[in-house]
Amino acid sequence: MENNIEGVETNTRIYEVGYLLLSSISLEDMPVVYGNLKDLIVSLGGEIISDEMPKTIPLAYTMTKVIQNIRNKFDTAYFGWVKFEMSPDKVLELKKKLDLDVNFLRFLILKTIRENTIAAKRFVHKDSRRKTTSSKKEGENETVLPIDKEEIDKEIDAMVAA
Amino acid sequence: MKQDYFSANNIKHIDYKDVDILKKFLNPNGKIMNHKRTGVTSKNQRSLALAVKNARFLGLLPFVAK
Repeated sequence: MENNIEGVETNTRIYEVGYLLLSSISLEDMPVVYGNLKDLIVSLGGEIISDEMPKTIPLAYTMTKVIQNIRNKFDTAYFGWVKFEMSPDKVLELKKKLDLDVNFLRFLILKTIRENTIAAKRFVHKDSRRKTTSSKKEGENETVLPIDKEEIDKEIDAMVAA
Repeated sequence: MKQDYFSANNIKHIDYKDVDILKKFLNPNGKIMNHKRTGVTSKNQRSLALAVKNARFLGLLPFVAK
């Protein structure tokens, strides 16, 4: 359903994996897991387009995962994503491998587009526009003030002359 | 009528990771707003709903807000 732009090669497609890593993984081990995922994608013939390091986020709701017959609850997790190009049949293999990976709390494989889809930068622009408008207003005030001063000076001169 | 937010801001692909944008289209309970309220085109409303649901699965947005 997602908008897919077919890859340059005929049999590849752009995918994205969004994932949550268990918060029980220590900060030092986290880059290893992150590196392993990237290696796995490359080993399956994928070409990484863009990615983001997993960061700790508070989850919107408590998630559970059964590890060694114990149900664990998680309120925080490391959230990261990788965008890559891969052939559709290899993605099934990737899914099977990720299903077996014990470090993942959850993951989601999506079809996506090559272009950057995060619109956060536009918000910065919007804010900066607002800032410029506010600064313009300040500028207007500044321009208004000198005129006032001149008028005041003239008035004072007139007063002194009188 | 309110203009479509996504075409107004030139957003062609609604991303599930853009939580700040998606939150604009949730009511205080965390439910997706009606397209009549959002003023978003039908096509964008469908992809918006999908993005919200993906974000919910990954714990970025709540299924039910307290």
